[in-house]
Amino acid sequence: MARPDRVRELACDDVEAFTQSYVDGELAGKDRETYERHLGVCEECRRAARFAGRMKAAVRGHLPRRPVPGALEQRLRVALAAQPAAPPRWPRLTWTRVVPALAMVGAVVMVAGTARRHHSIVMEQARRTYQAELPLDVTDCNLVASFFRGRVDFPVHPPKLADHIRCQGGRVVNVEDRPAAYLVYQDPNGHRVSLLVFDPEWSRIEAPTRQVVQGREVFFRVGPGISTAGYQDRGLGYVMTADLDMDSVRGLVSQTLH
Amino acid sequence: MAFFKGRPSRSDFEKEALPHLPSLYSAAVRLTRNERDAEDLVQDTVLRAYRFFDSFEAGTNCKAWLFRILTNVFCNRYREKEREHEILTEAKSSDANVEQFFAGVEGGRDVETALLGRLVSDDVERALAEIPQDFRMAVILADLEDFSYKEIADIMECPAGTVMSRLYRGRKLLQRILFDYAVEQGIVDPGKVPELAAEAAAQKESAAPARAAAAEAETIDFESFRRRRGGGGGAGHGQA
Repeated sequence: MARPDRVRELACDDVEAFTQSYVDGELAGKDRETYERHLGVCEECRRAARFAGRMKAAVRGHLPRRPVPGALEQRLRVALAAQPAAPPRWPRLTWTRVVPALAMVGAVVMVAGTARRHHSIVMEQARRTYQAELPLDVTDCNLVASFFRGRVDFPVHPPKLADHIRCQGGRVVNVEDRPAAYLVYQDPNGHRVSLLVFDPEWSRIEAPTRQVVQGREVFFRVGPGISTAGYQDRGLGYVMTADLDMDSVRGLVSQTLH
Repeated sequence: MAFFKGRPSRSDFEKEALPHLPSLYSAAVRLTRNERDAEDLVQDTVLRAYRFFDSFEAGTNCKAWLFRILTNVFCNRYREKEREHEILTEAKSSDANVEQFFAGVEGGRDVETALLGRLVSDDVERALAEIPQDFRMAVILADLEDFSYKEIADIMECPAGTVMSRLYRGRKLLQRILFDYAVEQGIVDPGKVPELAAEAAAQKESAAPARAAAAEAETIDFESFRRRRGGGGGAGHGQA
């Protein structure tokens, strides 16, 4: 079948990949016009477009929605009821909201100073686990990486904190119902340092003091008797806890991020 | 107008998110290919959505937001299991351009009608389960959930060109597998379509495992399409 020269602006090979965009309703404007002009004179591409459309409809027709099992719905309602209340939702910012709100915030800051309550489940969990001194699942540092393989959803390689601080081992703990790695270190003076390693998507790191260490945002919480620092590195979340002052903990964090 | 909204209740979340449960569960079953895993995936998704409900902007597309979470959870938890399956799938799937075949041979329309008219749901379900994860996800999001390319790009966290590429490859694989089923079941007689049989045999002998990596690297983009169109001068299907 011959085609007039005027429509040879597009090769069939060129339009083939865009047949699906056409079928999906994603081809618009000039692109759509050009494509349809090509279809108007090319029987093969017209058939291909028709087939793609029929195929899409057939797949959709043969794969209906699955009914949600009643047991799953029940499980979800129970699980949701057991969760803490949903956090507040921030409204969309518009001038009519921002201006009075800024004025109100300014007034509050003047009166109340900069006091702010920070609550982070993972920071709290790290402190509680540290204080509980739970037994370790693995006590050979060389076996830590292989021990956690398959037990948590990410690879665990105990970072080196300092020459004089040695890894003691680790155990699996839960952070918001997700398995996480808890590593324990000790220095020659008996100070304990722990490192909770977790998927940061599952829990937020937040604390009253925020500093930048080695170019990373690190949150610190101090006292009583222990200091905690939370940060992210290479896609993982870390909370370091130690019976040391904040400067010492910041130094250790700096070493691990160096 | 009040700046601070009240703390959203669980019922606010349930009202917004739970109507999308059938979509989430259907996609989860087809992604995990296992009802039990699908239930776990949906539960993880919903609980995570609830925890991070403050990051959802009211009035925006809740379904797309939930699917983005579902996709993240799925990729994090099931990626390893998937890899084993995909190695097997890639080794046995060929990638003949079935619709071009239908378009190009005498009597192709009859074959097309036979194939599409006699497909059964189990075959389509099975064929979808066989295609690699990223391609399968694109097909589910576009064909079953009606997301736009832009929404799919946001959900899968990749450029729109990559979405188009994955969708294109996924649909081709799906067609190829369904055609193979049709031949196996005698719906389509490969003897009547020797060109396709030869093409399929040749492709099955070729190095299929390398194809997935090549497909992944290939990204369709409108700009190059427009450049080619602007340049003019192309050849058709061997037409003169």
